[in-house]
Amino acid sequence: MGVSGWFKLGGRSIFSWAFTFQRLTGIVLLIYLCMHLTYLTTLLDKTGATYESMIALTVSKQFLIFDVLLVLCGVFHGINGFRIILHEFGIAYEYRKPLLAVALVLALAVWLYASYVMYYLTGG
Amino acid sequence: MAEFKIRRFDGKKSFWQTFEVPAKKGMTVLEGLYYIKENLDSSLAFRASCRMGICGSCAMKINGKPRLACETQILFLGDKITVEPLDNFRVIKDLITDFEGFFAKHKAVKPYLIREDVKYEEPKELLQTPEELNEYYVFTLCIKCGACYSVCPAAATLDGYLGPAAMAAAYRFCADSRDKGNEERYEIASSSNGVWRCHLAMECSEVCPKNVEPAKAVQMLRRKTAFSILKSILRW
Repeated sequence: MGVSGWFKLGGRSIFSWAFTFQRLTGIVLLIYLCMHLTYLTTLLDKTGATYESMIALTVSKQFLIFDVLLVLCGVFHGINGFRIILHEFGIAYEYRKPLLAVALVLALAVWLYASYVMYYLTGG
Repeated sequence: MAEFKIRRFDGKKSFWQTFEVPAKKGMTVLEGLYYIKENLDSSLAFRASCRMGICGSCAMKINGKPRLACETQILFLGDKITVEPLDNFRVIKDLITDFEGFFAKHKAVKPYLIREDVKYEEPKELLQTPEELNEYYVFTLCIKCGACYSVCPAAATLDGYLGPAAMAAAYRFCADSRDKGNEERYEIASSSNGVWRCHLAMECSEVCPKNVEPAKAVQMLRRKTAFSILKSILRW
């Protein structure tokens, strides 16, 4: 089946989809982390002007959609990851369906709130 | 009439073929396949034996999901049925897949009671309480049909991975109060192809036709293995 099996549409339960999104969001976060660290380590001026200009560019309405998607990745990966860790310790395995539903609702609520805050910070 | 769309393989190429099967109430997908073989195309190859969900031979992908053909009724699925061989197995012909590696992995976890005091010449009764039996009973129900292995994303990307069925069998014996071979199995389970490769997609538990919960067994085995490693590090 290979990696392509992660994206197969039919015949999969919601747990498989949670696994697929966990992987995808993990890859997105890894790429973002690499870009973030690469950028920070290339800052040469000590005044902080380059950093400030970058922040001014990224904390703007044009970049809001990317920030919102990045936060979605982070929130989903964190909350779903915590659910997986619980099961890996053998905790609440019998309640895996309700727990997944709770994790998804929680991730959605945190993401919507964070998106609202970011929207507010960029000037509404 | 039900339309059977079957993914076939002749040893060289894979192709789809469609058959019309007269479906009756209570008729299973396996009976439909036998109808095709006996009346429409005798070259159709599939594996089946007990016809009552015990042997696990007839596991195949039916309408995109691994199921036992003998326990799946045609009319519950509608009038269009798609039948494919299981994923994550090498296809030999049509719906027949190669289970040699799957059984080798099962054998590798030593799925039998290990005791030093057992002699076949002098059989010994090994007593067990109902509570001790309940610790592992559900995992004894595995029929080795391969449905769990076929949906496992870890098995899909790593050929050597032991897989859910083998590790459920390992846990079944590790949780058995009569068994004394835990340490041997923990060593196998903690290898690079063992419990740590499971990503907990839990699809194996979702498709198991016997509700064995292999994903739970893997996590329980993982916990036991972790404690065993910790104990050996601390020389406890």
